[in-house]
Amino acid sequence: MKITGEIKISDNGFVFNSRTGDSFNLNPFGLELLKNIESGKDFDQIKNEVLDRFDIDDLTFEKDFYEFCALLKHHQIISQDDPLDFN
Amino acid sequence: MEKIVYEKPVISKITAGVPNKFGLPTKLKTISAIDGIAVEKLMEDYGSPVFVISEKTIRETYADAKQAFETRYPKVQFAWSYKTNYLDAVCSIFHDEGSWAEVVSAFEFEKALSLGVNGSNIIFNGPEKSADDLKLAINHNACIHIDHFDELYLLIKVTRELNKKARVAIRINLDAGIYPIWDRFGFNYENGEAWNAINRIMLAENLDLIGLHTHIGTYIMSANAYAIAASKLANLYMATHRKFDHWLKYVDLGGGFASKNTLKGAYMPGTETCPSFDEYAEAISNALISSEIPHENLPVLFLETGRALIDDAGYLLTTVLANKRSTHGRRTMVIDAGVNLLFTSFWYNLGVYPTRELSSHVEESTIYGPLCMNIDVIRDAINFPQVKTGEKLVIERVGAYNMTQWMQFITFRPNVVLIDLDGKPHIIRKKEELASLQDFEQNPKR
Repeated sequence: MKITGEIKISDNGFVFNSRTGDSFNLNPFGLELLKNIESGKDFDQIKNEVLDRFDIDDLTFEKDFYEFCALLKHHQIISQDDPLDFN
Repeated sequence: MEKIVYEKPVISKITAGVPNKFGLPTKLKTISAIDGIAVEKLMEDYGSPVFVISEKTIRETYADAKQAFETRYPKVQFAWSYKTNYLDAVCSIFHDEGSWAEVVSAFEFEKALSLGVNGSNIIFNGPEKSADDLKLAINHNACIHIDHFDELYLLIKVTRELNKKARVAIRINLDAGIYPIWDRFGFNYENGEAWNAINRIMLAENLDLIGLHTHIGTYIMSANAYAIAASKLANLYMATHRKFDHWLKYVDLGGGFASKNTLKGAYMPGTETCPSFDEYAEAISNALISSEIPHENLPVLFLETGRALIDDAGYLLTTVLANKRSTHGRRTMVIDAGVNLLFTSFWYNLGVYPTRELSSHVEESTIYGPLCMNIDVIRDAINFPQVKTGEKLVIERVGAYNMTQWMQFITFRPNVVLIDLDGKPHIIRKKEELASLQDFEQNPKR
């Protein structure tokens, strides 16, 4: 799972996809997750950091994380070459 | 170290287009309590989903309507439209306020009698009245509103058999300048059918014509339509007097006043666009008072307002069961109340609100009910914040029609709770259970 080359992410949560021309808004936690994905961290690393800092349980975070990733894929912000590739 | 409050990650696409006509997004309303009782507490005690009705709101709304008409017209009588909500506790409040009963079936007629309504204070409307139903009405001296000629002749036959007089009015359909024209009920004004019916009734020995009735439609957004209808009834009222030297006792403008709900496809919310009781009252009263009816012979004005009197008093409390994403990335949410409980969701964009302040980040979402049926959609599109499963939500303005047109389907119908004037909750209709439903069934032995 990696962020496609045409994506630009600003520090205030604005995302622009120069391939499709679409732009997006992220809420603060969405921005943090996207930055983490951009930096190459895998799910377990991200999860451990989040659970340390936020008032959230692992199952709820896992559910929200994969739903968020599904949206990122839908908006062509991250790419997944193999549909059977998990994470 | 204290942990940071978690908020679900969200990404939303920015859509360029027509700017929002209402300016900046407003803060989402929350409904945390009804008449002083916390929504959480109501759901803890009575389950989810649960209908909640506010007696205070019923009485306040009724007082508003009454004041609007009584300050403009000398003789006004409301008749509670049973089909809008015929729970005993609800009807009893309206009768306590002075409403007569307006019924459209023998079932509703008997319900009104069982609540202690005097038969002569029952208006019997509707196209379905059997000979037995008519006998019931005649024996209780009710006001029978005749819908068609077959009913008129059946009524003449029944009065002969009983050798009793019936108090009658006719229902009249007319062009009030609105679309659609409801012409399936009653006798038409414009083509002379209504006048023919009046003449036939006046010649019948056992029929005492006492009123004229019309019901121009439902959710009527134009108060002026009522003025046109009232003028046409006034014309018939005077024509009857001129020909037969007979003063009728009342004109009945029916119901159809809009509630503050928002119709699907409406450009503006119902709270901004629906006429107030004052506007309806002004239109109707002016039309009657400025007609050629002499002031000393002005008829009693009957009103069968249902929806506008009860919609605001009803709430449905519900719980979020699941959050999902459609294949198109659209956010969807499943709640535990379906269209089988919310018949009005087919024509209204019902207001759905959280019980507490949530994230200010909202996303266009679809709200589904819990039924295993594709049609179970409570809201096609609503801007809503992220909520977790188990979150409590409140659907407002559901007092009209939902508790009569609801359907037992897939699961049980829930408790209905009334909060009285002292802020005390009472179950007024118990949640169904397997045994109560199986009572109606018989399984042949094999």
